[in-house]
Amino acid sequence: MTLLRAQDLTKTYTVDHQIIKVLDGVSLTVATGEFVVITGSSGSGKTTLLTLLSGLDHPTAGEIWIDGREISSASEDALAPLRNRTIGFVFQSFHLVPAMTALENIMFPAELLKRRDAEERARALLATVGLSARADNLPSQLSGGEKQRVALCRAMINQPKLLFADEPTGNLDSKNGQLVLDQLLAMKAAHAVTLVLVTHNPEIAAAADRVVTLSDGRLRHQAAD
Amino acid sequence: MSSRLRVIYRQLVGSSRQALVFVLCVSLSLTTLTAFSGFARSVRQSLLADARTLHAADIILGSGSPFNPHLQGAVAREAAAGRIESTRIHTFFSVVRTVDADASLLARLKVVEPAYPFYGEVVLLSGRTLAGVLTQGSIVVEQLLLDRLGLAVGDLLQVGFTTLRIVDVVTAEPDRPVNMFAFGPRVFVSHQDLDALGLIEKGSRIRYRLLIKVTDPQELAPLAAHFKTFADPERERVDTYRTARSGVRRFLDNFIFFLKLVGIFILVLAGMGIQSTLGALLREKRQTIAVMKTLGATSRYVQRYFMKLTALMGGIGILLGVAVGLGLQWLLYRLLADFLPPSLHFQWAPSGVLEGIAVGVVVLILFTLLPLHQLRYLRPVMIFRRDQPVHQKRWPAWLSAAALLLFFFGLTAWHMADAEVGLYLVAGVGGVILISASFSQLSLWVLKRLTVRRLAVRQAVRGLFRPGNATRPVMITLTTSLAVIFAIFLIEANLDATFVRSFPADAPNLFFVDIQPDQRDGFARLVDQAVTFYPVIRARVTAVNDEAIDRERQQRTRGDSLARTMNLTYRETLLDTERLISGERLYRSDWQEPQVSVLDEVLEMHPMKVGDRLRFRIQGVPLTARISSIRTRVGENLSPFFYFVFPTDVLGNAPQTVFTALRVPPDAVADLQTRLVTAYPNVSVIDLSTTLRVLARLMQRLSNILRSFTALSIVAGVLILTSAIWATRAQRMTEAVYYKVLGARRRFVLQVFTMENLLIAAMSGILALLMAHLCAGVVCHLVFDIRYQAFALASGGLVLGNALLVVTTGLLASWAILKKKPVTYLREQTDG
Repeated sequence: MTLLRAQDLTKTYTVDHQIIKVLDGVSLTVATGEFVVITGSSGSGKTTLLTLLSGLDHPTAGEIWIDGREISSASEDALAPLRNRTIGFVFQSFHLVPAMTALENIMFPAELLKRRDAEERARALLATVGLSARADNLPSQLSGGEKQRVALCRAMINQPKLLFADEPTGNLDSKNGQLVLDQLLAMKAAHAVTLVLVTHNPEIAAAADRVVTLSDGRLRHQAAD
Repeated sequence: MSSRLRVIYRQLVGSSRQALVFVLCVSLSLTTLTAFSGFARSVRQSLLADARTLHAADIILGSGSPFNPHLQGAVAREAAAGRIESTRIHTFFSVVRTVDADASLLARLKVVEPAYPFYGEVVLLSGRTLAGVLTQGSIVVEQLLLDRLGLAVGDLLQVGFTTLRIVDVVTAEPDRPVNMFAFGPRVFVSHQDLDALGLIEKGSRIRYRLLIKVTDPQELAPLAAHFKTFADPERERVDTYRTARSGVRRFLDNFIFFLKLVGIFILVLAGMGIQSTLGALLREKRQTIAVMKTLGATSRYVQRYFMKLTALMGGIGILLGVAVGLGLQWLLYRLLADFLPPSLHFQWAPSGVLEGIAVGVVVLILFTLLPLHQLRYLRPVMIFRRDQPVHQKRWPAWLSAAALLLFFFGLTAWHMADAEVGLYLVAGVGGVILISASFSQLSLWVLKRLTVRRLAVRQAVRGLFRPGNATRPVMITLTTSLAVIFAIFLIEANLDATFVRSFPADAPNLFFVDIQPDQRDGFARLVDQAVTFYPVIRARVTAVNDEAIDRERQQRTRGDSLARTMNLTYRETLLDTERLISGERLYRSDWQEPQVSVLDEVLEMHPMKVGDRLRFRIQGVPLTARISSIRTRVGENLSPFFYFVFPTDVLGNAPQTVFTALRVPPDAVADLQTRLVTAYPNVSVIDLSTTLRVLARLMQRLSNILRSFTALSIVAGVLILTSAIWATRAQRMTEAVYYKVLGARRRFVLQVFTMENLLIAAMSGILALLMAHLCAGVVCHLVFDIRYQAFALASGGLVLGNALLVVTTGLLASWAILKKKPVTYLREQTDG
């Protein structure tokens, strides 16, 4: 069953009266439970594609369907519940809110939903990544690997159907990178979540069900595992 | 502390510098207005509470001529019925002299009866009561008089045509005008000596007052109304202690008016600071906002979240502003202590504090609405592209500007109690801001397109266009505040230069008033120089074209008004210092009815033109005259001038005194004054150069107070600049590190940052100076009618001073950036 479908996606930017085409007619389908890796050289449009697929940005042309709902022209506030309940995000730069502790960062999406068990769920997730002792630490007091594990917990707290990850191990050393990847895959398996991941890392790509390669804004290659 | 509050607190700590600047902007916006408004309120309350004492009576009857018999009869009847007590007072200026005619001095005489004062106390050095010592043949004087004439208690003093003995020294009197208006020491004279003084002639400048004490306080208003029915409204005033505007109150009302203008001006500029700093703070929080939105937070949630943050900072700012405002209020009391009655003390009014808080809340809402609204345009994709341009709609900005304009109009109209002034102020400040904004836009447009060869300057120019640099708001705020401060300085410098420092060499410096017509020849012989005598007839204008003068409205105006007693004169020719601007000759030969030539300055008090009819009342006698011509004064001069000049046949026989003005070498003034008043004790001599010096000193003191407070508006500019530098800290740091990595020394980085701030300072300083010169030139030309001097050196100093301030602020705010080592910064970036 298809969870995510993108049709003829185009994205252009205007810089100093010059139109730059970043994505050019990209189409992609992701089935429920699938693990898709998007790869490509720097500047190929990977991150742009991720922002469009996840509803963080609007395409210049084309359509995107998530869980049966067309989102390409939906307003910012109409997309907010979708991002909150259906989608989870993990970023290369972690993007934890600096003023919130590890626990508060994880609780935040659940609190937006006014879940009473937000703290309970957050603590449970922290325990699964082995960071219970770091619950009250601010991001500035955590190491890179710890930050990414907290970010992973935050992405999973509302049990999303779809998880987007942008170079989740890109800012980590190999040991921490492996740890985060293991936990990411473990959570994917435990919660049956669909994973769309952008990476340069061939080892991660090797673990995917399907690898999509972008080149100059166009989809060049789709390799099944 | 709840979890959410804790997070908001941490957000504040995380942006503590911007939060501090924001709090300071909020508090600055309120401080001055709270202080001035509180000062005005407590002064008004105190004056009202002490009003009986300040007027020494319940009802005050005042006139420039003896009271009409009907009014005197009414007072006598009520006194006989036991409903009131009354006492008479005569006040006037006269030159007093030592009995050996060695020295003389212009003094303020107050002739009183034993019942004076009904309220309050005349405090004497000996501790005795005034009634106890002021008997026939004795006087009580101020210490200043003894010092200036070298006399002591027990000595004799020549006052008018009689000699009186000094029996005590007065240290305080309840209804005395504040110090600043006192051009001469006080002399109390017993009413029994009034005739012996021989100073009351027809047309003399004497203020007659009848103080009344009401037996039953309930009867106050009915009795005042009763006396009003007998008073001649053209020349006699009836006031109760509640309605009378004392000299203190008039002065304070005027001064507070200007203080409040300054307060509102600072509020506008600090408001711009609030908006700009909140913008900078929210820019710092863009990543957090993008993360929140990515995780599913709606725009409304984000707005509410930052609204709470803003409310917390604003609340602290408001409390701080009100507290500092109270401190400033206390300082104002200290600074103006000489001008306030001794009974007036600092007191804070809770209603003033509440008003300050209310204004603060409205200011906070109005100035933060736009930046908070703009949060909805921030998109979650900013998580990847931090500097992505934000596409905003224009209508919220226009709506916000309209709301602000409306608020300022309302605030000004409320504080000034005058919608017209509110409109002018909003238009004036709006105009200056608009010009500053247009010029800033234009100069930045030109700078952006300029080809600069020198590397440091080129980088500095590029720096001005750094995203989030707030160059425009900094320039607008600095330009606007500097324009006002420079303008005040230039106007004051021009007034000082024209009237005080370079007192015109040929201008008369001694004015002689109340010369009796039969003293002319003797006077001319005594002064031994050519004298032009000007007959003076005291009168009131009662109607223009049969429309009665609205005295209440006239008295409310801040300039001269037709409500006061005027000095008329008669002559057949124009003076050398005058020319006609309407009408072909001074008088028309084809009109048979009485004519009058009017000075153009009268037209500012009431519109009138040639052919209009003016009705006067000259010591009870009505006279209607048709305007034959309008005159104007030529050039800046201190020669005598008259608003109304009549043909000799119209006023030649009216009761009159004579006035003249002479140029006397300063070292001969004292001797001439003494000789003259020995021969003619009724003549008062006013030394204009001394009077102007005293006035200039007072003016300087008051304008220093105004200028010091106005200077606070610069703080708004400095705060915005600091906030902008801190907001662009990351970019500046990157630039500085890259310069260093590429081989530049710290000196180069310093040059770039200094040059950047210097450009802002130079552009804002020069425009401010141009606007200030324009404004000061117009004021000097149109209001004071004096030649305008540019004060090139001082002007340069002002621009230089501003440059120094801006560059120093810029460098201090950039200090951490300059000190940063490239390796530390790069490691921090890699650690992410």
